[in-house]
Amino acid sequence: MIIQSEITPKHSLSNFFEPGRIGVIGLLREGFFGGLVVIKTLLRNGFSGEIYPVNPSYKEILGLKVYPSIKDVPAPVDLVLIITGNRAVPHILRECGEKGVRAAIVVSDGFAERDEEGAKLQKEIVEIGRQWGIRILGPNTAGIANPSKGVLPNPYELGYERLKPGGVALCGQTGMINPQAFPYGDLGYGVSKICDFGNKCDVDECDLMEYLEEDSDTKVIALYLEGIRDGRRFMEVGRRVQKKKPILILKSGRTEEGAKATSSHTGALAVKDQIFDGVCKQAGLLRLDSFGELFELPKIFSHQPLPKGNRLGIVTFTGGVGVLAVDEATRYGLRPTILTRRTIRELSSIYPNLGKPIIDLGPPMAALRDYISIYPKILRAVLKDENVDCLFNVIWTGPTQTFLEEYLRIYRQLKEINQKTVATWVYGPKVSLIQELTFGLEELGFPVFKDLEKAIKALGLASHYSVLKRREER
Amino acid sequence: MKRVSIVDRLKKEGRTILTEIEAKTFLKQEGIPVIETRLSKTPKEAISISQRIGFPVVLKISSPEILHKSEAGGVKLSLKNAQEVKVAYDEIMEATRKKYPRATIHGVTVQKMAKPGTEVIVGTGKDPQFGPFIMFGLGGIFVELLKDVSFRIIPITRRDAREMIGEIKGYPLLLGYRGRESVSLSALEEILLKVSQLIEKYPEIKELELNPLFAYKNRVLGIDARILLEGP
Repeated sequence: MIIQSEITPKHSLSNFFEPGRIGVIGLLREGFFGGLVVIKTLLRNGFSGEIYPVNPSYKEILGLKVYPSIKDVPAPVDLVLIITGNRAVPHILRECGEKGVRAAIVVSDGFAERDEEGAKLQKEIVEIGRQWGIRILGPNTAGIANPSKGVLPNPYELGYERLKPGGVALCGQTGMINPQAFPYGDLGYGVSKICDFGNKCDVDECDLMEYLEEDSDTKVIALYLEGIRDGRRFMEVGRRVQKKKPILILKSGRTEEGAKATSSHTGALAVKDQIFDGVCKQAGLLRLDSFGELFELPKIFSHQPLPKGNRLGIVTFTGGVGVLAVDEATRYGLRPTILTRRTIRELSSIYPNLGKPIIDLGPPMAALRDYISIYPKILRAVLKDENVDCLFNVIWTGPTQTFLEEYLRIYRQLKEINQKTVATWVYGPKVSLIQELTFGLEELGFPVFKDLEKAIKALGLASHYSVLKRREER
Repeated sequence: MKRVSIVDRLKKEGRTILTEIEAKTFLKQEGIPVIETRLSKTPKEAISISQRIGFPVVLKISSPEILHKSEAGGVKLSLKNAQEVKVAYDEIMEATRKKYPRATIHGVTVQKMAKPGTEVIVGTGKDPQFGPFIMFGLGGIFVELLKDVSFRIIPITRRDAREMIGEIKGYPLLLGYRGRESVSLSALEEILLKVSQLIEKYPEIKELELNPLFAYKNRVLGIDARILLEGP
């Protein structure tokens, strides 16, 4: 008898991200890859559901009973991971179908990405999925992650203890975003969901955006795409979901396929990537330019409030950085602010001549012994200025640990009162100091960027998104 | 909405390329402003059409196989009298016959030389992933050399139309840069919207291009047009 899970899922992808019972089918031997890793990682990250290892050659593993077939598991199963040779997958999927499983992550490779035969096999599993109503993620995928529920069925050894829950969802057609590929463990900010589409034979970016639309953990969606399966649906879903949360997209360029000869200018021009650019603008999606941005820029949306306008305040330690920041700001539609007279007076009463458009902390830093005592006053004065919508704050770590605690204390206080978008850039003479402060600030919910250009671009995107949002509301 | 017969007729005949005359007639019937253009089959006919519509005129080769008319020597501009029309007619025939000896030639089209305006291009096509799209750009060298164009997926809204006009780099030219006459942005928006609606109404249109489209202070006018249909 087929027993359905007691809770009817809201979305067909809830089985992937919020499963109560997970079947792990296939490879169970020791190593940095396989089902054993999946089980260990699930246990270590506090997964509270049931785990059912399936492999006819084992009786018991890590104190869990191992079943010869998924059909022998005595309870309904919400999600299975299949880690076997490619040829075994169709049979296993059919068994899952008979068992009533509705979601399968096919980790196995050797499908369309390999050769003709693999492509055929992929077609076969898609048909089995349709026939039995099983949604398939992959094949050739490292799967998903939902750290807030401890759902980390990751087939690769992470290399760190836990994946921190947060607001950024990272999804893509690449293993590069998976937990084992990026030092998530060293980040101050956390992720809400990770999803690797693999060969994308069934579950795709549209399904995922729809799922994330309703996912309360996710504050921002970052997508890496090589191709889009259904352009029309992509636009329709993207346009709807971006009204609730920003969607950032990195897409690799179109190549041969669009380059077929056409007779008109329109056709010849359209082979450029510009059509996708038009799509993003039309649907309100934010397009990214580089892989690094995929990890760096979303965090501005995960904890910070959206800016109400494009007026940028700049607090820095060197004039040069301030000028560069102004250059970058103009590129991304931000306007260096004109501070109110009140703020100018207030700043200049804190330290002579401080009330300038770019607030340069260099002179007081050099002149005052207890410069750190005026620092919070300066930040407060700028942040409460009605002409400031967002702030680019540059912090110098100093040569030793001395200031770090102070900075963290100041930001902690700032968090209580601040309503503006703050992007921080930390620099200094030691990588260890930069890392320590970055981690601390991001833990407080203040994103710190690797370079000043990204910090400004993040603020630019936030400001642009806030314009889009207001446009929708009108 | 009632469909105009040209497209259906072509489908019946198994043709996929509309001649310039057919394209312009069709567009006019669909409410898209294009310059009046007639077909002549002899120099004499070309002269009499010219006299009727008034000099100066433009002569262009009419052949379904010759898409790049200028490069084939198939276009003559600013013809001021009957004599110039006759000479131009013969030269066009000679040049194109030499370059395309096998092409079917319907004759030579005659149209009034339009008052110079800001040249823009409006085109449509079909993307394998996103379906029908529309493109806008500044015409002439801007489109050829600088590829200063913007795209949207059909159907578009008025806001999309406004944004696609605003985002090209040459946008200031449309506003009347350095003493040039500014052009009607609302007429441009309107034409983009109309073309978008047209493609929705006739999904069998594979590519449509108004190039150049002259933009003036208070209107726009299609000077040349081409339309390709999907294969059978």
